[in-house]
Amino acid sequence: MRISRTETDEELIVERTLYTRRYLLVLDKKRCIRCEICQITCPKEAIEVTVAERNSEEKYLSISIDEEKCSFCGICSAICPMGAITLKINEEETIPVLEKESFPKLIHEIKIDYSKCPIDCNECQEACPFNLIDIHKDKKKKIVKIDVDAAHCPGCRLCELKCPEGAISVKKIFFGVIRIEKEKCPEGCHSCVDVCPVPDVLKIADDGKVEVNDYCCIYCGACKVACPVPEALILKRTVIMHTPVQSGAWNSALEKLTSAKELSKELAAKRMMKAIDAVKRRVG
Amino acid sequence: MSDDVRIGVFVCHCGLNIAGVVDVEAVTEYARTLPGVVYATHNRYTCSDPGQDEIRKAIKEHNLNRVVIAACSPRMHEFTFRRTISEAGLNPYLLEMANIREQCSWCHPSMPREATEKAKELIKMAVAKARLLRPLEPIEVPVTNKAMVLGGGIAGISAALDLADMGFKVYLVEKKESIGGHMAQLDKTFPTLDCSICIEGPKMVDVARHPNIEIISFADVLSVEGYIGNFKVRIRKNPRYVIEENCTGCGECRDVCPIEYPNEWDMNMGVRKAISIPFEQAVPLVYTINRDYCIECYKCVEACGERQAIDFSQEPEEIELKVGTIIVATGYDIYLPEEGNIYGYGKYSNVITSLEFERLILAAGPTGGEVIRASDGKRPKVVAFILCVGSRDVNKHPYCSGFCCMYTLKHAIQLKEHYGDDVEVYIFYMDIRSNFKGYEEFYTRAREMGVIFIRGRVSQIIETPEKNLIIRAEDTLLGEPIELEAEMVVLATAAVPAKGSEEISRILNINRGSNGFFMESHPKLKPIDTAVDGIFLAGACQGPKDIPYSVSQGSGAAARAATILSKPSVKIEPIIAVVDPDKCRNTKVKCGICATKCPYGAIVAEEGKPARVRVAMCHGCGTCVAECPADAITQMHFTDAQIFAQIRAALEENPEDKIIGFCCNWCAYSGADLAGTSRLEYPPNLRIIRVMCSGRVDRDFVLEAFRRGAGMVLIGACHLPYDCHYIDGNWKMTERMKALAKMLEKLGLTPDRFRVEYISAAEGVKFANVIREMAEKMKKIGKERIKAENAKLKPFLDRMLSRKGI
Repeated sequence: MRISRTETDEELIVERTLYTRRYLLVLDKKRCIRCEICQITCPKEAIEVTVAERNSEEKYLSISIDEEKCSFCGICSAICPMGAITLKINEEETIPVLEKESFPKLIHEIKIDYSKCPIDCNECQEACPFNLIDIHKDKKKKIVKIDVDAAHCPGCRLCELKCPEGAISVKKIFFGVIRIEKEKCPEGCHSCVDVCPVPDVLKIADDGKVEVNDYCCIYCGACKVACPVPEALILKRTVIMHTPVQSGAWNSALEKLTSAKELSKELAAKRMMKAIDAVKRRVG
Repeated sequence: MSDDVRIGVFVCHCGLNIAGVVDVEAVTEYARTLPGVVYATHNRYTCSDPGQDEIRKAIKEHNLNRVVIAACSPRMHEFTFRRTISEAGLNPYLLEMANIREQCSWCHPSMPREATEKAKELIKMAVAKARLLRPLEPIEVPVTNKAMVLGGGIAGISAALDLADMGFKVYLVEKKESIGGHMAQLDKTFPTLDCSICIEGPKMVDVARHPNIEIISFADVLSVEGYIGNFKVRIRKNPRYVIEENCTGCGECRDVCPIEYPNEWDMNMGVRKAISIPFEQAVPLVYTINRDYCIECYKCVEACGERQAIDFSQEPEEIELKVGTIIVATGYDIYLPEEGNIYGYGKYSNVITSLEFERLILAAGPTGGEVIRASDGKRPKVVAFILCVGSRDVNKHPYCSGFCCMYTLKHAIQLKEHYGDDVEVYIFYMDIRSNFKGYEEFYTRAREMGVIFIRGRVSQIIETPEKNLIIRAEDTLLGEPIELEAEMVVLATAAVPAKGSEEISRILNINRGSNGFFMESHPKLKPIDTAVDGIFLAGACQGPKDIPYSVSQGSGAAARAATILSKPSVKIEPIIAVVDPDKCRNTKVKCGICATKCPYGAIVAEEGKPARVRVAMCHGCGTCVAECPADAITQMHFTDAQIFAQIRAALEENPEDKIIGFCCNWCAYSGADLAGTSRLEYPPNLRIIRVMCSGRVDRDFVLEAFRRGAGMVLIGACHLPYDCHYIDGNWKMTERMKALAKMLEKLGLTPDRFRVEYISAAEGVKFANVIREMAEKMKKIGKERIKAENAKLKPFLDRMLSRKGI
């Protein structure tokens, strides 16, 4: 058995090779936004996102995976809103926890009404901070087709916001609250602004403090990791859009990502559904 | 009383073992002149029937009431001769032995004159002690007629089944999740090629079903207290997170578990689920959750449903067993040559060990029985086996691992059987050892099947870009270097002591030899016994063994254990500590030193009352005796008076030439015996006085030796921290002697003249070296200086020892 970790500019690869089985956990560093989601969710606490300084002016985040702790369950891959992590077993992409229904899938929901698209408009493509939108145009037939790479879309809704015709609707994956405690936010600090993956969600206001525009916030928590002052930046996730599942691993992930309160809400809802099902079955 | 002493001395020739060096006639003649001796004779083999007869006859004829036998080590035949004299009506404890073989003739073969003089003195010392011997009655204790077998491999299974069939309750304690041991990992067995698990599986099931056997698996032994017939064992049952009684072994939980982890059972070549069994035939068939990997999705709980066998809140559970005997069958491990990448193992993917090959060729293994390469999944066309990897190698393990030749022949034959002419098989060997029933024929069969044997050590293996392996070796039969390109290399690596052997040896107080395997009490005559009464060895924990040998030893150990379990009581040695209530200070002042120093808590010192020894708990180490500030405690058979008599006898003539060595029975004394058995020669200055434990060595003994003019004093003990057979007697001695050494130095003693050494029973070489070194130093210091120092010391020592009154 060999366990190893290799890192290039593009990828971070954690590998476990047995005689007949090879496990590869590949982190696409170009897609990864160094947020806190996988770090919080990993049941083995194998992932760590840390603040680093490029120079005294600019902060950035870096991510590392402990190859000795990783159990190759694929939870990080399932929970990453950016779809930046893939798990391969014997060269085949797979997520064991999804296969065994031990973890839900995130719901990336994007609807586009092509009929509304003007032939010469490129707004959405230009707006997407992650380059996930491809526009194909047939000028003769005046047909516009838009490819959105939904699997890698965290649902920031910038495209929706920028679309002049209201042709795109994007549903967020994480819902929540983000707030800056002005009195605690240190003047002149812009760590959170530096690390936020979505343009214009965080801005330095005229008073030198940070201002939030939460319409496009994806509640990834990168800002929270970077913020140097405790409780200067409040970020709470309340809802996560996911496929239904019954799993202790999910309950514990949900509790860690949101709060015990949100978890109990989801459990209560599940119980309710179960009760309704039971009644239906009995009534026929 | 001393007027009544009538000692008979019997000097043994031991063929030429003693008589070849020592002039036995002169020694016998000398013995006759010793005070108290009324009869002395010599005979060819004292331990033989006629020899023993002669002793019995002499006791009657000469009305002897003490017997001294000058022969081999008391560790060898003390018990035999005790029985002999008791048959003649003498109390068995009225015997003393002078060790003139292991500690005289065998270690001084080239100095017959000096050896003869030494033998005379050893006899003089024994006679001096014998004069003071008192009859003792053995203490009879009840026997718990249950046994514990430690380790559930084939040796442990055989022992457990045999004992259980004899009607004794057996606890079979296994560290891993399932019993079966290495045998359950194997594909076929040599030389019959029958399927290993097919023959072991039914035995494992028999164990599980036997009403007299209780399997305690996934458990660790924490401590063992007590003595023969009455051991108390504390065991920790590790949590499986599955309730044994509720688990049906259906495996539905495994099917829903999303997590895989490397299966140690498969040599980490294949995987198992986070909730699983290590292999299909596991006994007990109970699933285990590995919490290191489990993500707690609780899918297993859902799948288990109404059976409710899964319990994530399980905690380790400690239990206590009471047993009369213990059989140790903890087996071996396979050496993985990862460190240093020997022959590229760990670096080249197509170099594997034989046990890994075993999992490859096994139909139930990770590849379904296909022998394929790790690098490309293809079947190798040329396979080379290398024997003696790590064995018979002075840099790794000097011993022969025994079974590697045979299992490699098996692998070669299996490859030929599976793939015929599609595979070329080479075996690089030093010697093929095929010396049991059917084994040589098996070797012939391999040769007939076209396996190519190359005699010579492989010097180097190089990996090619295609991941083939170029083997460089010298063919010692042709006398020329050869090179071979193989597609897979299989290393027959050494068998090494199982992980945790060190801890087991500490917990049970049993010795390990220099190679780390447990040591038997006697290599020929007590191959299954340990030095601790009531604890026996079976299987490869004592040294590498194949299956039939392990099974026989398991049955042998069961028979040995039954000799104890079948009786309602057992006699233990009465060499316990006894308190003289009149001398004990605890009646007047708050003392209780003995109670705090006793390693077994066997002494009670209540305020205002004399200390009291709880007889059954006393192990007879004598530490309390040495510690008692009022000399109120005596160790039977090792009294102060007896040991003083030995010291004085040893130092009557030319004391400044002598080294007095106080050696503990279990380690240093056995080390001295081993030096003799190994015929390691050292200077004849040493006079050993045997004590049960170094903790018994009183400061007064050392002082008396110097007062009597000794050149040097040595205390030989078991190694720190854990080797002491009485838990920590060696520590008590160490503390005591540190203070004493300082004091003696202040009084003007050259520090080199007083030495404490820790020498195990396996360190004959070290023992001989220590004596050589000491004799050398003693020469350097010079007789005159020793005499001068001793003269200066004497008044102090006289004063310090005056209270002794001996």
